[in-house]
Amino acid sequence: MDYILTARSLGKRYKNFKALNDFFIHVPKGAIYGFVGKNGAGKTTFIRLVCGLQEPSAGSYAIYGTENNDPGIARCRRRMGAVVETPSIYQDMTAEDNLKEQYRIIGLPSFDSIPELLRLVGLENTGKKKAKHFSLGMKQRLGIAIALAGNPDFLILDEPVNGLDPQGIIEVRELILKLNREKGITFLISSHILDELSRLATHYGFIDSGHMIKEMSAAELDAACRKCIRVQVSDVRALSRVLDEMNLEYSILSDTMADIFAKINISQLALALADQGCDIISLDEREESLESYYVNLIGGGNRNE
Amino acid sequence: MSRLLSADFAKLKKNKFFWICMIGMFLFGVFMAVMDYISTRQYGDYEAQITNILFIYALTVAILIPAFVSLFVGTEYSDGTIRNKMIIGHTRTCIYLSNIIVCSAAGLGFCISYIIGVLVIALPFYTIDPVILQGTVILVLCSFVMSIAFTALCVMTALLCQNKALTSVINILAACFLLVISLYIMSRLREPEVYSGYTLSPETGEIEMSEDEPNPDYLRGTERELYQFFNDFLPTGQAVNISGQGELSQSPGLLAAYSASIIIVSTGVGMFVFKKKDIK
Repeated sequence: MDYILTARSLGKRYKNFKALNDFFIHVPKGAIYGFVGKNGAGKTTFIRLVCGLQEPSAGSYAIYGTENNDPGIARCRRRMGAVVETPSIYQDMTAEDNLKEQYRIIGLPSFDSIPELLRLVGLENTGKKKAKHFSLGMKQRLGIAIALAGNPDFLILDEPVNGLDPQGIIEVRELILKLNREKGITFLISSHILDELSRLATHYGFIDSGHMIKEMSAAELDAACRKCIRVQVSDVRALSRVLDEMNLEYSILSDTMADIFAKINISQLALALADQGCDIISLDEREESLESYYVNLIGGGNRNE
Repeated sequence: MSRLLSADFAKLKKNKFFWICMIGMFLFGVFMAVMDYISTRQYGDYEAQITNILFIYALTVAILIPAFVSLFVGTEYSDGTIRNKMIIGHTRTCIYLSNIIVCSAAGLGFCISYIIGVLVIALPFYTIDPVILQGTVILVLCSFVMSIAFTALCVMTALLCQNKALTSVINILAACFLLVISLYIMSRLREPEVYSGYTLSPETGEIEMSEDEPNPDYLRGTERELYQFFNDFLPTGQAVNISGQGELSQSPGLLAAYSASIIIVSTGVGMFVFKKKDIK
């Protein structure tokens, strides 16, 4: 698999605080990579390192296969864009002037594509309105437009929907999906709004306390979060025998509890268990959300430490 | 680097504070020339000399440059736009140098704006002594190097401190503090070596000359050399000197050399620390 961004044993220390510790990541080409972690987990620190705003204390990362200590990394960065924390825009300039400024920084010879870029992010009618008078959603979209100015094929968005109203969230989401599908741009999106992320991401990375807990594809996550029936019985061994006979997939959780990953005939199961002298105490249908999966994962991560 | 310069100059062109300062300095020059001309016509028994007012801008830019640089460079941090430059792959050295070049150009713009303001009024009315013309031009050039030295120091503070408000406070307070120190140094260096002795005769009621009294506050030896060094070395000292037509400075060449050393050292130190700095 082609990776746009990878990191190995990456570390970042601020005095005595380890913001990143033995961190790894693999962002596949063409993916929308959901970078999940609670506040202070180290998401923004990692993004700052990748953007060249800070230097790692240990380990390394590679963009398009070029290591961070290679002088060629500057050239690789020209192929990426980023919105780190708040959108980086001149508040006293209009959307168009902000883009002109970015075009000059990049060294683009013509401003001809600016109207198209403004249309793409839905800011074509802002006219002479200065960025400081924009709504948060408009600022966010202008930040994305600036990040898109150099036609990057990798975009890093740090908490892109933070503070946006529902309409703003939908607009940013649709923009990301459009750019990913139509222009093939790879995204690394950090967020702790898991519900929103689950509508976008094709891959996930779960970070906690500066450490990558788990990386997985959306398909793998769907499998992990799939529907099940949680059943509580008086004798879990009897339940296990019955489920084996019925050839159903299940997992034992405790002496009295198990999850069954299949559609079952409750009457049949109750009769079969009754034959084994086992009572059903409770039975409920469950579907694990990304949120509960994440909470379990982080909780598990903490227990392992 | 050229791309950064193009972007930063375009930003400067759109900067309101820059244009307010430019117009303000021009009007200040006009005002000073008019006021000086009126006062020489009204009270003076001497001919109006352009050098009386030509160098006053040196003191004004000592406050104006720290304020401008703090706002202009500080915006890069407060708006977060410095990140756009780094993310796209520009080196920190280029970002630092581009800021120095653009801010220096702005500082020189303030000086030139004042000079033009003075010349617009002065040229028709004032006499320009050809004997002092060369010295005047040299002193103007010295003031330009001094303004770049000021800019280099302020850019260093502005790029090393990521808080725009704090940068403004540090730069302006430091400029005021150094200005007060320089004025004090200047006043100490101006102390006369001896006081002329006068006595009032009680019998005749007339003032009679007596022996000169040595001034105990007059600086001598190493102490005087030290005061003289700071008077020439500090950019504020140079500003005070230049605004007083360089009366107490040792030589314009020395002033320029000190300014150049400030530019080189502050830029070197600033760039070294800036390269290692974690940007938020």
